[in-house]
Amino acid sequence: MKVRLLILGCWFLSIVATGQVLRIAFDAADLKTLDPHYAAATMDRAVVDMVFNGLVRYKPGDITVIEPDLALSWEVSEDGLIWTFYLRPGVSVHPFPGMPDGYELTSEDVVFSLIKAADPQRSAYAGEYTGMKFEAVDKYTVKIVLPQPISSALFLPKVANYSGGFIVPKRAYEELGPRFATNPVGTGPFRFKEYSPAQKVVLVRNEHYFRGTPKLEGVEIWYMPDVTARLSALLTGEVHVIEGVREQAWVEAVKRYPQVIVDVFGPGETEVLHINMTKRPFTDLRVRQAVAYAIDRNELVTAIGPDVAEPLCAAVPPYLPGGLTCAEVAERGLLYDVDLAKARELLAEAGYPEGFEISAYITERASYRKPFENIQAQLARVGIKLNITVVDHSSFHSLIRQDANPLVHYEAWRPSADAFLTRFYHSASRVVVGTKPDTNFSHVTDIDGLIEAARYELDTEKQIALWKEAQIKLLEEMASYPLYILKFVFCRSKSVDYGYELKSSLALYPSINELTTLK
Amino acid sequence: MARYVIRRILVAFPTLLAVYTLVFLFIRVAPGDPAVAALGDYASAEAVQALRERMGLNTPLWVQYGATLLGYVRGDLGRSLITNISIGSQIAAVLPHTLELTFAGVLIGTIFGIPLGIIAAVHRNRLADYLSRVFSLAGISIPAFYLGILLILAFAVKLRWFPVMGAGDFSNPVENLRHLALPALALGIIMIAFVARMTRSCFLNVLREDYIRTARAKGLSERGVILLHSLRNALIPIAAVLGTQTALLIGDSVMTEIVFSRPGMGKLIVQAMLQRDYIALQSLIVVYASLVVVINLLTDLSYGVIDPRIRYE
Repeated sequence: MKVRLLILGCWFLSIVATGQVLRIAFDAADLKTLDPHYAAATMDRAVVDMVFNGLVRYKPGDITVIEPDLALSWEVSEDGLIWTFYLRPGVSVHPFPGMPDGYELTSEDVVFSLIKAADPQRSAYAGEYTGMKFEAVDKYTVKIVLPQPISSALFLPKVANYSGGFIVPKRAYEELGPRFATNPVGTGPFRFKEYSPAQKVVLVRNEHYFRGTPKLEGVEIWYMPDVTARLSALLTGEVHVIEGVREQAWVEAVKRYPQVIVDVFGPGETEVLHINMTKRPFTDLRVRQAVAYAIDRNELVTAIGPDVAEPLCAAVPPYLPGGLTCAEVAERGLLYDVDLAKARELLAEAGYPEGFEISAYITERASYRKPFENIQAQLARVGIKLNITVVDHSSFHSLIRQDANPLVHYEAWRPSADAFLTRFYHSASRVVVGTKPDTNFSHVTDIDGLIEAARYELDTEKQIALWKEAQIKLLEEMASYPLYILKFVFCRSKSVDYGYELKSSLALYPSINELTTLK
Repeated sequence: MARYVIRRILVAFPTLLAVYTLVFLFIRVAPGDPAVAALGDYASAEAVQALRERMGLNTPLWVQYGATLLGYVRGDLGRSLITNISIGSQIAAVLPHTLELTFAGVLIGTIFGIPLGIIAAVHRNRLADYLSRVFSLAGISIPAFYLGILLILAFAVKLRWFPVMGAGDFSNPVENLRHLALPALALGIIMIAFVARMTRSCFLNVLREDYIRTARAKGLSERGVILLHSLRNALIPIAAVLGTQTALLIGDSVMTEIVFSRPGMGKLIVQAMLQRDYIALQSLIVVYASLVVVINLLTDLSYGVIDPRIRYE
């Protein structure tokens, strides 16, 4: 009897042991980089999110709340120039070759990491830290000196668990060198174990995690570019969480499986049609307005599906401070509700009574191509013939940055109103001709003052008012037509409990942390 | 024969150089920037510029061409522009999986395709022949990835006999075979179709030969005629098809690797192409071309084994 019980016990333990490794599959063929200061793609952000921490963090499942992470507390000087962070003592850096027991993270690491994040040679997000100085006051205190004061709404995201804000331990980075990009070492709930090219990354739990030992034994991140394979693997239980397809029909189909939960969550990505104001005939405001009156954003939302898309009526989404809701835009009479007669009238006034013909490139990715084809059909109703050339995603990004398109459909997420407005509408960001060419495809030049005034405004209400004013100007000159917000879709087995309520995630996947369990 | 092999190897070098040159030029003509692909669209303009510099993309084309070529001479395939991982180590990690899959596909194709073709030829214009031809036509027509999805739905999702994803560890042969079964079958069915068609056609030609008539006239059993006299003579064109198809199968395995989420050369090539990872793409294609050269050489050498009259001068 005892032997039977022992065997049963061992069997049970083996089930529990193997059952506590969560497998998550992403729509990707392989990783790109696991250096948090470069990671940009969803599958890379996911690994980085589990391995690293920021000084502060977005509350799991709710990006509207910022809470302590590696820093227990912080304060800002009266003049708004000096931010001081008091670190959590006893935070353990994951083991790595050269230091098999890891070491305690201190202000030296934080300063090193922030300097790295600010260095364009070692970080993709250096522009976020221009002019800042970083100083280790003592073992657990870090001082950040800004060149100009900015509001906490703009500053804290720079030191949060996102992009350049992830803290890279100094000694691990120096020891591993270029290998750090595929062998990340951080302080997060899970530590890197191995990488199998074009297959998976294996993480194991960090027993010394400062928030407590994670409930999962480990996490495997699988690269599975085929959606049928991902769904099949979810249905057979080989993976527990998958990246889904951001289309209503797919969501509805998957919801029919009783063992699967579909999570549709924010913040989502903004889908905007940028109108190039330097290319004829879009140099004429009436033509741009005609385009706006010809497009029916509700039809686009219906085509994609109300669960995964919601209308976007201004450049900054309403869930960010400074964003405009559709009701606010309607109040100002700038909603541009579909009106084909008015569109034709405006075209006639502009000298195009029969419409005109234009050509544009679009990527083969469905989330860009399908709505763009829908817009093509909508514009045809007022005589605008849009010829589309479908190219691969890399080519598309290259071509639109060479100013090849009169109309650019762009999908993006940015962490603040300032980032949205600066990257898409500041004159310095104009493609090709800007001083820092970025993604100003419309060639907007007249709201720089508002963007900069808002950036350095410390009064929250005034700052929000400036951001809103900038967006109103954009709508008045119809530099871009906001289409909709496309949310994220992930599916999980019912056995997965994330450990928090998932409303939004900046890591662009449902964050797996120390609270996540597999039943 | 040694001289023949050495001559073929020497001829392979200009072939590979031509392949490298064409890939080097074509990938650079296509629009797309590896730095933007690597950093994503949120990266700052300075960071993109810094990465372009570090990737060596701002150096003259001939310098880039020569540096990579010099690396090949030294046996260094370079490092991925995107991940900075040594391409040699990446290939070493995935090539066994690709070769395993290709070999399994060829094996299935040979084991089932040749008998099916023989049966069809021997029973020409009868039910077995018609069934074989329908199967062959269907096998050739169905894309490997679609067949893969059907196999997944039937044998993994419904019956739960095989796993959906991944490649088993080589240290665990049973697990490895379980992971290999469905993707190998997806490729193997296509191979069966090709081999069966070719075998049928070759066999029909051989069966019309005078020496077959003579063998039958001597009173040899039909089994003896087929296995001893027809098969070996029909094998040379079949071997040629097998060689060509094996090379093509490595290419076909791209979609199979994606559908079954297996690591492999095909998956790496597609990824490198989409991300404009110039160095990785060049090296992967050169390695792929080398594999094709080796397979062709082995195929040519197999003729001598099948037919001892063939001499390599």
